[in-house]
Amino acid sequence: MEIILILGAIALLVLFVVAQYNRLVRLNITVDEAFAQIEVQLKRRADLIPNLVETVKGYAAHEQSTFDAVVTARAKSTSASTVGEVAAADGALTNALRGLLAVAEAYPDLKASTNFLSLQEELSTTENKVSFARQFYNDNVRSLNQAVATIPTSFFAGLAKVSARAFYEVENPADRNVPNVKF
Amino acid sequence: MANSTNFRELQSANKGKTYFLLASMGLLTWLVAYAALTYFGAGTTSFIVPIAVGIALVGVWGSYYGSDKLVITMTGAKVITREDAPELFNLIEEVVIASGLPMPKVAIVEDTAPNAFATGRDPEHALIAFTTRILEVMDRDELQGVIAHEMSHVANRDTLVSAVAATTAGAIAILSDFMMRMMWFSGGRDRRDRNSNPIMLVVSLAVMILAPIAAVLLKSAISRKRESLADATAVSYTRNPAGLRKALEVLASDTTVVRQKSNAVAHIWIESPLDGKSVSKLFSTHPPIEERIATLKAMESLGPTN
Repeated sequence: MEIILILGAIALLVLFVVAQYNRLVRLNITVDEAFAQIEVQLKRRADLIPNLVETVKGYAAHEQSTFDAVVTARAKSTSASTVGEVAAADGALTNALRGLLAVAEAYPDLKASTNFLSLQEELSTTENKVSFARQFYNDNVRSLNQAVATIPTSFFAGLAKVSARAFYEVENPADRNVPNVKF
Repeated sequence: MANSTNFRELQSANKGKTYFLLASMGLLTWLVAYAALTYFGAGTTSFIVPIAVGIALVGVWGSYYGSDKLVITMTGAKVITREDAPELFNLIEEVVIASGLPMPKVAIVEDTAPNAFATGRDPEHALIAFTTRILEVMDRDELQGVIAHEMSHVANRDTLVSAVAATTAGAIAILSDFMMRMMWFSGGRDRRDRNSNPIMLVVSLAVMILAPIAAVLLKSAISRKRESLADATAVSYTRNPAGLRKALEVLASDTTVVRQKSNAVAHIWIESPLDGKSVSKLFSTHPPIEERIATLKAMESLGPTN
């Protein structure tokens, strides 16, 4: 009788450990997948850019500095690899693209062209997908980091080789502009 | 409900209420079975209860398992591909990424009323459908809110929840129908081992008469909670309560209703196609649209969340 009780207790304990271990590993894999999704969407956006720049150039050839800014930002974004680098390059490219679309506003012929309209739709859906992929990644990092830091999962983080992950934070220069207060 | 405006709190509150309502359904079934037992004695009822539950199970679970195909035939929806509506697919893909769910099948219903619904037994067999009118009248943000609401039904497994509710309500209806018939037709014979306390007999009779109504009320209450939950989950996907709020305002201002082929699928649309004024609030499958708009407005006032 005692043997059965002891064996039962051990079995329960093993099940508990397995459940915690699996939860951590699952969360970690979801974060990896979520990051891969961000990269897929960033790649899609990078692929759209040459076409977009060419289209705008056709109507606004002298806006060279805007084109250069987009091309440089795009080049940087394709070479980034860590979460921090990718996020920084992503933010820079988003701003450069905003500049390009602002330029386009001044050319009614360009805005009316079907090619530009379809590119604009593609670009805005991709921007949305990038930001939703970011949000999904950060939500999952939040759950993972919470599990790594709270009892009981925190006891098994070392065993599962899972640790807290970095949030995907886009630097937005516009948000950094704290108003200067002068007396 | 009005004092918790955060979508995470709203989500857990609505989930909690659903569990409570489903438990009440179970309790009600048990109560009816007990009343039947008291009134007729153990002999007859011991096989009628499993039969009633069985009939309800077969009927509801068949339609649950094939829900995606069944609803297509009942609403006249046509499944479409990316080429038919690239912008709609772009929007759905956005919400798919935000929710982490698999891509659902997409269908269109030819109709002059703006409306949408989701169905399917699990996220892998999900189908979301839109009327042709809703695609014409809504802008990007509004449609995104509607898609997020439908994908929330998929994520929250609402086809399953309503199947469970429909099964118990169905079993209770069949059970009390059996009982009433037995009472009229085979009155005096089977009553040797029945309870002879007159108060218990009256109470059991009352339970059998009232239970089917109570079951329908509970079923509607569950449906309403799932709608509120889907609104809250939708906001957790888009983080943009204004989009869904504007979409609901568009739906509220539009007075045309979907020309349905069957009332049986009324509960699955985002806006109830039944005339709200003729039915009491207690029986309606959706919370009043003004209430849903107010809840979303309260979420907007919290400012951007992440």
